[in-house]
Amino acid sequence: MVEFILKYNKILLIFVISAFISLDVKNAQAVENVNDPFENVNRNIFKFNNNLDDYFFKPVAKGWREIPEIPRKPLTNLATTAKTPISLANAILQLNKESIGNIIGRFLINMTFGLGGLFDVASTDNFGNIAEVEEDFGQTLAVWGVPDGPYVMLPIFGPSSVRDAFGLGVDTITNPLSFGYRMNGIGLEARLSGPVVRGVSTREKYLDYLDEMKEGSLDFYATMRSLYRQKRRKDISGELESKDLSLSMLPVEAYEDEELKSEVEESKSDVKNIVTTMKDEDSEIKSEMTRYYNGVLPSSNYPAFNESRVNLIE
Amino acid sequence: MSYFRNFLILALFFIPIHSFSDEKIEQSKYFVENLGKQVIEKVSNVNLSESERIVNFRNLYLDAFDNYYISRFVLGQYWKRLDSNMRRQFVESFNDYIVTTYAPKFKGWEGTFKATDSLLENNYYNVKMSVLNKDGPTLQFMWKIYLDKNKNFKILDVNIDGVSMLVTQRAEFMSVIKNNPKGVIGLIEAMEKKTSG
Repeated sequence: MVEFILKYNKILLIFVISAFISLDVKNAQAVENVNDPFENVNRNIFKFNNNLDDYFFKPVAKGWREIPEIPRKPLTNLATTAKTPISLANAILQLNKESIGNIIGRFLINMTFGLGGLFDVASTDNFGNIAEVEEDFGQTLAVWGVPDGPYVMLPIFGPSSVRDAFGLGVDTITNPLSFGYRMNGIGLEARLSGPVVRGVSTREKYLDYLDEMKEGSLDFYATMRSLYRQKRRKDISGELESKDLSLSMLPVEAYEDEELKSEVEESKSDVKNIVTTMKDEDSEIKSEMTRYYNGVLPSSNYPAFNESRVNLIE
Repeated sequence: MSYFRNFLILALFFIPIHSFSDEKIEQSKYFVENLGKQVIEKVSNVNLSESERIVNFRNLYLDAFDNYYISRFVLGQYWKRLDSNMRRQFVESFNDYIVTTYAPKFKGWEGTFKATDSLLENNYYNVKMSVLNKDGPTLQFMWKIYLDKNKNFKILDVNIDGVSMLVTQRAEFMSVIKNNPKGVIGLIEAMEKKTSG
């Protein structure tokens, strides 16, 4: 049995991943395709990650921001350049000519004119603003037709999916730089420097936005899950929104329908002065700002919109 | 000769449409840039009191965004299940939530922005904008806007670096409703708690 497992371990691995990927897809579709069967476990890991972020990554990112542009930017550029081999390998596996061209072009320009990758001159106007492209094995699997599978929250690494988590593992193991490090006897500390700098730099980039989002969110976990899914969709296919969540679901013509017209008529006949009290600490200004709506919701598409525009009745 | 006449007739049809479309595309870019300028003047200004900031933001939001459309979209499948009173209550709570959540974030915001392109696609104008924060990275915005019946531009969504704010908001609300035994009422209560908090 053990021999069988060892011999066919790759096939078994693919089978296990496929089983995970197909898991609970039907249930997930019922609730806006969240496909999150491990939600309870994921939420606990998310909590742990958040604590780790509050007490470790965020202070580090803040400290990173305080470092002068030089050496901060050159270090980030070097860490990004170090990802080139794995990105290129994946672009080739995807047969993505545009990505292959961009990755090689950026690499050559930055290694020569950018002084060995210290400066990202390929992104400047002088070198044609070559876009930064990152390809990973999760994306490659997606191009090969592997679905993303259930959403998973990885400790430390954060939001992922079964497919992308597997891709992350493959990228880490097969990274040509890892072989180079091992052959030259370079220790783990040095090997980790690239991912750590990239991680800190990314966290620094979203420092303010994440804080603001967390503060205003009613369910930060669900927000992050949605952000991750959208970002991956854009990275993989270039589509900005899922077809089943497209704004086209509510075409502009929807406003012409009879149901909405009757709603508006109802709201017109049911004219009440709805008092919306501004939630503000300043009580004096608060009383001045008490707004009396004329009972009709403020939308441009309500009939007679111009007549019923949100009038502030002092 | 008849070919020439047909060509002329066709040309007469197409030329005004083309120029109208170009004009509207330029106007769509101006619309979002002008909105940005108003936000800086009326919301970001550090000399404003918090109340003034909220009132100004509310007016800009109600004027520039199609909040009814947005409310309907973010409530997804649950919208159909609500009666008109509940829908109205939801729209009001949602507007308050948006205003009180976002208005304070603009306080003291400094940066530059420029509408770089606008594409007309299925009745929507997709206006691309580069936003350069003073102390942060450059972000690529894409505003999804349309012309309403009164020929006023209205914003439906803003997409930041590939992430739709509307889709994100909807995903969050769906989760809140799913995990709250009170459903949509629970969501409204959660929004009101956040607004008053």
